[in-house]
Amino acid sequence: MTMLTTLALRNLWRNHRRSLLTLTAMVVSSSLLILALGIFSGMLQDMLASATEQYHGHLVVSRDGYQDDRDLFSTLAPESELIDRLSEQEGVNGVSPRLRTFGLLSAGESSRPVELLGVQPAKEQQVTTLQNKLVAGRYLTEDSGNGALLGRGLAERLDAEIGEQLVFLTQAADGSIGNDLITVTGIFATGDTGHDNSLALVNLNWLQRLVILPGQAHEIALHLEDPLTAPQKAEALEKLLPPELEAIDWGRLMPEMNEVIATYDVSRMIIIVILYFATGLGILNTFFMSVMERTREFGILMAMGLRPWRIRILVLLEALLLGVLSLVIGVGLGALLTLYMREVGIDLSGYITPVTYAGGTILPRLTAVFEPANFWLPALLLLILCLLSAFFPANRAARLQPVEAIREE
Amino acid sequence: MDLFRLAWKNLWRSRRRTLITLAAIGLSVMLVQAFHNLAFGTYARMIDSGVRAGSGHIAIYHEGYVESRDETLSFEPQGLVETVRDLPKVEEALPRLYLPGLAQSSRESRGIMLTGVHPEAERRVNPFIKDLPEDEMVRDLEGRDAVIGQRLLDELKIRQGGKFVITVQSRSGELVSELFRVRGVVETGIKDIDRSLVMVGLDRAAAMNGRPGEISELAVILDEPEADRSVHPLLEKLTADRPHLDVLSWEKAMPNLANAIKLDYASQKVIFAIIVLIVTIGVVNTLLMSVMERFHEFGVILALGASPGKLRRMVLAEALLLGLVAMVFGCVLGTLGTWYLAEVGIDLRTFISEDLEFGGVVFEPVLKAGWDVVWMVQIALYVVFLSVLASLYPAVKAGRIVPAEAMRHF
Amino acid sequence: MQLRSLSTIALGLILLSASSAFALDLRELIREIEDQHTGRSSRAVMNMQVETSHWERSLVMNAVSLGRDHFLIRIQEPPKEKGVATLKVEQEVWNYLPKVDRVIKVPPSMMGGSWMGSHITNNDLVKAAKIDQDYDFALLGETDTTWRINCTPKPEAAVVWGRIVYLVEKARRVPLTVDYFDEDGIKVRTITFDEVKEIDGRQVPMLMAVQPLEKPQESTVMHYRELEFGVPVEESFFSLRNLRQR
Repeated sequence: MTMLTTLALRNLWRNHRRSLLTLTAMVVSSSLLILALGIFSGMLQDMLASATEQYHGHLVVSRDGYQDDRDLFSTLAPESELIDRLSEQEGVNGVSPRLRTFGLLSAGESSRPVELLGVQPAKEQQVTTLQNKLVAGRYLTEDSGNGALLGRGLAERLDAEIGEQLVFLTQAADGSIGNDLITVTGIFATGDTGHDNSLALVNLNWLQRLVILPGQAHEIALHLEDPLTAPQKAEALEKLLPPELEAIDWGRLMPEMNEVIATYDVSRMIIIVILYFATGLGILNTFFMSVMERTREFGILMAMGLRPWRIRILVLLEALLLGVLSLVIGVGLGALLTLYMREVGIDLSGYITPVTYAGGTILPRLTAVFEPANFWLPALLLLILCLLSAFFPANRAARLQPVEAIREE
Repeated sequence: MDLFRLAWKNLWRSRRRTLITLAAIGLSVMLVQAFHNLAFGTYARMIDSGVRAGSGHIAIYHEGYVESRDETLSFEPQGLVETVRDLPKVEEALPRLYLPGLAQSSRESRGIMLTGVHPEAERRVNPFIKDLPEDEMVRDLEGRDAVIGQRLLDELKIRQGGKFVITVQSRSGELVSELFRVRGVVETGIKDIDRSLVMVGLDRAAAMNGRPGEISELAVILDEPEADRSVHPLLEKLTADRPHLDVLSWEKAMPNLANAIKLDYASQKVIFAIIVLIVTIGVVNTLLMSVMERFHEFGVILALGASPGKLRRMVLAEALLLGLVAMVFGCVLGTLGTWYLAEVGIDLRTFISEDLEFGGVVFEPVLKAGWDVVWMVQIALYVVFLSVLASLYPAVKAGRIVPAEAMRHF
Repeated sequence: MQLRSLSTIALGLILLSASSAFALDLRELIREIEDQHTGRSSRAVMNMQVETSHWERSLVMNAVSLGRDHFLIRIQEPPKEKGVATLKVEQEVWNYLPKVDRVIKVPPSMMGGSWMGSHITNNDLVKAAKIDQDYDFALLGETDTTWRINCTPKPEAAVVWGRIVYLVEKARRVPLTVDYFDEDGIKVRTITFDEVKEIDGRQVPMLMAVQPLEKPQESTVMHYRELEFGVPVEESFFSLRNLRQR
């Protein structure tokens, strides 16, 4: 065995130009493939994140039917026991109870219908990303009191600035007229006119007191490590929850956005297949041909007494050594490129503005993410491909009579 | 000529390698062309639906309307509708009035968007209502027929044929209420529209607004998107004497759609660039190997008196021929692939779980390819260009051969 | 919920003038009942009790009105909401909130919303009931004491009801019940009247109960504790400044 290995190494070194060529081709192809896969995963994640993380979260737990009618009285009590149980679920890394009321926000002569979402700032920031969308002021804190975060369109229509006080009017849960002043602590802009024109974030405690629903919430929004698993997680959660509560994933909350993402996912898979094809063909070409051309050489070796099966092993070893080396470098290079894309990326906001559709926003930039599968899978597949493309011509050569092999050009 | 004949023969001497390289390049070309055409076709359809339901290929608005959607920014068309309709390459001119209002039934009330239209023209063009049976569409311009969204029907708790009252704030500030009856119901699949669409005759809506004759938008539908180049300036001329009117192309009137396509296109370009790089590397590799293997042979040729230049040109010629054949092969496959995708297309429903319902209007579940011939020709030229480019280094190497050393090569 | 005619009954009752006609002219009768005389002023103290499936509330309010285009209502009880007031001038409605000392204008989009949490909407307050103009009348039936009058909306009238049926007491020409039906003939709401008193020469029911039939546990009951007509008040009284007074 060692003799064959040594021979393999010597062969590789002997034809160092050819080996180098093959190596370069493999390195470039595999690293580019890995980069492309990283970009695709990054795009998908970006789309998902911006679509779901501005407002809905990945999954919500609420009373049956609440998400359809948003009835003020469809509440649940987010006791710490329930919150803990949800936080402990596998894959859940953010839990935020919320209370929602609709009413009128008024400044001077202007009044606008508004949705007030009461949240616990620390918890909410683990589920949604409005804190990254501020264009003025600051996010809420636990002691913001009656502070509120207004959407930009809403602030503009009410001509409201940071520090200004506006009146909020709604019907409280006991039927009385709930009203209070809010102070504008921050203004956000998501690019989604629906939210920017009618959403305001306030402290949960403050809102609970205003509408007289102490200790109550309408929904618990969850953030998952992998948002694509949301439907399965929702099903799993439903089994654990009491019957009057339901768990709904983002796909059902935003069916139109779900269409967009599903379509993108399919296109992505098609292109990935194309990429593998292109890379595979390149590798096939390289390895196959380089072995085919040595048929004569193998013929001589066989004439000198080397057994056919040793020829096969020899070639496989060469392919393995070369393949592993180039893939190691290729994966490394691919990782570097992916890192660059992730940290720097390509910013298209110069000529594209954020795309909003059906409750979500997609940011105009190209980025990449690190997903282990984007590394070991292509590496494995390409290695197998190397071995196969080297094997067949070697096999063919080994089957020939030495004399025939020598006669090949 | 001899050069090419020689190059051709050389290519076919290593038949397997040539064939495999051809296959690699050809298939990549096919995939890139076919997939781009698929995206091209899909974008075209998205634009088409979006344009017909939304602002048209080109639209005329009051200044500032598109940014604010302020219903007080309406304008009097003054004969523009008929004039524009008669312009060459214009399929239809759709005047529309949008008024936010309140819809009330005997049980519920909801905020809606009252949309006044020319019923016949709208029905011919607008994808939201094209599936509506003729007897379910609004019949005339001043009647009390209304076509409403499915969700709105359910939320108001009324039936087809049932009555409801719309209240809007007229321009003078007073509240105006009118009776309407549900003539037809549409389900676009887009929640916001299904919840708030109330489509009625234009004259009735304009009367409620207190400004009879005024509209919010004049959407111009063209025979083909490229006609924009000739029609846009005509529209500018027609409205030149009214500076408060804007003529906007759909990219400006519906920036969301335009940006979504640009974004998709941008990521596509990056990926295709990567594919091209991968294929090019393969070609360079192949050519280099073929040159390297013939060092001995080249050495002999040089020793016999051929000039290095001739050798270089031969390598280039081989690459050129290879590129040309691969291009033809790839284009044929690409054309076949595009033809298949244009006729049959890809049905997304086979990949996605059946629970997912498709809006059916903006998002059709079957993706079909279009024919972006210009782009296909560009790719073809790139292939040939890249093949030649890829051969530069090998050709240089071939030219540098020192005969004595080369002949020692095996 | 549509309650156009309720408000006009509520306000119209405040504004009724002495009737003279005796003959049974249905349109005239309904007009009396829903009468909106301009130039009539009134002052009232009323108690409104609202029951919904989630809560119960009782309010005591002062009201001053002039014709059908001006009124000012202020809550006296409960203490938590004392001072909350509503001002209507023609088609515009404002609310005053003493807790934050601010005035809010009610935008058109909120006109469908309920007023003070009751089964009366802002829209009802603003729109003048033109029942006598929007409907055609027919006598459905008659007993010794009552008339039953069917009101069918005119084909172009902007009303949501299929039909309305009045049950009127002959003797004092006051309504006993009013039933509201949708187009399928389903009764959606009933208003009942009681406690008829004579004020300023006119018979006025002092108690009015609104019952949404599809939510039987819900109701709004208006009870007039005090009511007087011909109060000296000018249009200038109905101003934002007066709205803000506590």
